[in-house]
Amino acid sequence: MRAVRQIKQAKKGNKEALLQLIMADKDAYYRLALTYMGNEHDAMDAMEEMIVLLYERIHQLRNEEAFGSWSKTILVNVCKALLRKRQRLVLVEDLSESAEDELDSISRSRTSDPYKTSDQQMHLQELLQQLNEPQKEAIQLKYLHDLDYAAIAGLTEVPVGTVKSRIFQGLKKLRELYGGEADE
Amino acid sequence: MNNIEERLAEEKKNIDSITAPDDLEMRLRTALDRAPLRRTKKTVPAIWTAAAAIVLFIAVLGTNYPAFAYYGKQLFGFDAVISGTLQDLNDQGKGQPIEEKMTLDDGTELTINGLMTDANQLILFYTLFNPQGISEEASSSIFSPARITGFLTDSFVETGISQMNDEHTEVKGTYTFEPVSPFAKKLTLQFRQQLPGNQMKDSELTFAYDPNKAMQTEVKQHIRKTLEVDRGTINFQSITATPTMTIIKGYLSIDNFDRIRNAMDGIELIANGKPVAQVGSGSQSSYTGMKFDIRYDALPSDLESLELVIKEFVGYRKLDRHISLPSPADQPVLLEDKELWVKKVSATSRGIEITIATEQDVMLDGVSIEADGENIPLNTTLNQYDTKLPDGTILKERTLLFDTSVQPEQLIITGMHYMKPYNRNIEIPVD
Repeated sequence: MRAVRQIKQAKKGNKEALLQLIMADKDAYYRLALTYMGNEHDAMDAMEEMIVLLYERIHQLRNEEAFGSWSKTILVNVCKALLRKRQRLVLVEDLSESAEDELDSISRSRTSDPYKTSDQQMHLQELLQQLNEPQKEAIQLKYLHDLDYAAIAGLTEVPVGTVKSRIFQGLKKLRELYGGEADE
Repeated sequence: MNNIEERLAEEKKNIDSITAPDDLEMRLRTALDRAPLRRTKKTVPAIWTAAAAIVLFIAVLGTNYPAFAYYGKQLFGFDAVISGTLQDLNDQGKGQPIEEKMTLDDGTELTINGLMTDANQLILFYTLFNPQGISEEASSSIFSPARITGFLTDSFVETGISQMNDEHTEVKGTYTFEPVSPFAKKLTLQFRQQLPGNQMKDSELTFAYDPNKAMQTEVKQHIRKTLEVDRGTINFQSITATPTMTIIKGYLSIDNFDRIRNAMDGIELIANGKPVAQVGSGSQSSYTGMKFDIRYDALPSDLESLELVIKEFVGYRKLDRHISLPSPADQPVLLEDKELWVKKVSATSRGIEITIATEQDVMLDGVSIEADGENIPLNTTLNQYDTKLPDGTILKERTLLFDTSVQPEQLIITGMHYMKPYNRNIEIPVD
C-alpha cells in the first residue's frame, strides 16, 4: 500500500512522491510514449510535459487506485497533442527510420538472424499501417503494451465495447492481409 | 496459435526490451522543479484548522510539555562519532533509547539505538551489523535515510556521520534531521536501500517516540532587527537555542549575496563575551524573498549576555580604474585597499585573455578593455584556482576572456564585490 500513500502525498503537492511513482513504472511509460512519438527525443519531451500536467492535476484524482491508467491517459493525450501540433503522422517511413532503428538494433544484438527479424517487424508495421488509426492504436495498446480492455477504453476515451470491436475488426483485417497462411 | 498473434507477441518482446533512458529521472525532476508550486484552495483551510488546533494545544499545555522531569539513559558506543556538545549531552543521559531492529535486504541488521530531540533538530543514533562483513561502499548505500514522518511531522535528513569498526562488521553513526513535532507519538523513518543491480528500494521503520523526552529550548525569541548593507538589507528574525544547537533565522534582500562565497562566515554570535562556534549556514529563495539560517554550537548554560556581531559581510564599492596594459606582473595594482595582480595578457584563438589574481573575497564588476579606442566588455571568465603568495596569503586566480584580437591598452574596472567590514552589533536581551 506504499503506492497509495505516495499518491496521497503527491496529491498534497509532494513533487518527489510523484516522481517516484512514475519512476517505479518508468519503462512502461517510456515504451508507451515511444510508440506514439516514434523517437526517443520526442518521447522524452512528452514525458516531461506529462509529469508537469500530472502535478497540476493530481489533486483532482478521486480514486487513488486509478493512478496508473489516469496518468497513462494523460501521457497518451500529451503525445497526441504533440503529434497534432507538429502536423505530422507517424508513418511507416518515419518508424522505419527512428523507432524501428531502435527496435532493430536491439533485436539484431539478440537474434541470430537480424535480417529476418527486422524484415518481419517492417512487415508488421506495414500491416498495422493498413488499419485505421483507432484500430491500430487499440491493437498496439493491447498486444504491445499488455493493457486490458478497460484500460484501453479509458486511454482512448471510448466504451469497452468499442475497443473490443476495434480489436476484433483490426485483427480480422490483418489476418486477411496476411494472406492464406494465416488460416489455421 | 495463428500467425498474426504470434507476430504481435514477437513485436511485444522487442518492445519489452526497450528501457527508459538513464537521464529520464533527471529530466523529469528538472521539469517538475520548473513547474510552479501548486496552490489548492482546499488545503488552505485544512492548514488553518490544524494551526488553530495547535494554538489551542499550546494554550492548554503551554510550555509544560517538555518540563516533565525525565531521567534518560546514555546511548553507549557512539563516542567515536560524537564530540563536544553532543557528547556532553549523551553523558548526561539526554538521549531517548529506542532499540528497534530490522533486517535489511542484504542480511545486515539495522538497529535504531536512540534519538536526541529538541526544537532545532532530531539526532538519530544507529548501528549496522553484519557478521559477514560490510563493505565501505555498502555502509552508506544499504541504509540511506531520507526523512522522518509522523503526526504533524515531515522532517528531511540534514547531515550524517558514521564510523566502521576494525573488523568491518559494524557501523555506528548518527544522522540529523529537521526537528519533529512535539505532538508526534510515533515516528517513521523512511530510507532507501540499494539492491544489487543499482536498484533502489524504499523501506521504512516505525518506532514509538516520547516527545516529553525532548530537550527543552533554552532561548527562543524574536530579534526583528534590520541591518542595511551596501546592496540591500539583512533582516534577523529569531534565535532558537536548544541544548544541541543555536539557530538564527532571517531574510536577505541583497542583490550581490551570491557574488561571494561563505558570506555568512563574518557574522558572529557572542555569548558572555566569547564567540560561539559557527557550524554552518544556508540560504534558500522562496516567494517571500531569500531565507537564511546560521547555525552555531549550543549556548553556555550560565548565559548572561548575547549579541550578534556582523564583523563583515558582502559589500560593494564603485570604482573607476583604468589600468594601463601591460602591467608589471610582480607588482599589484591597488583597488582602494584590495590588491589586484595582472599576471598575463595574451592573444589566443579565443580572443584576448587576461590572467588576474585577487584576494579570495574580491569579485570585479563592470570589467572591460580598451583596444584601438574601442571598449570591449568582458565575454566570460575561465578557470579559477587558488595560488599562494610568498607570505602565505591565498589568492584567487582566473582568466578574463574578451572577444577581440586587438592588443588592449587599458583594463577598465567600474566596481567590486568584496567582504566589507561592517562591525555592527545587535544585542539580544537575555532574561
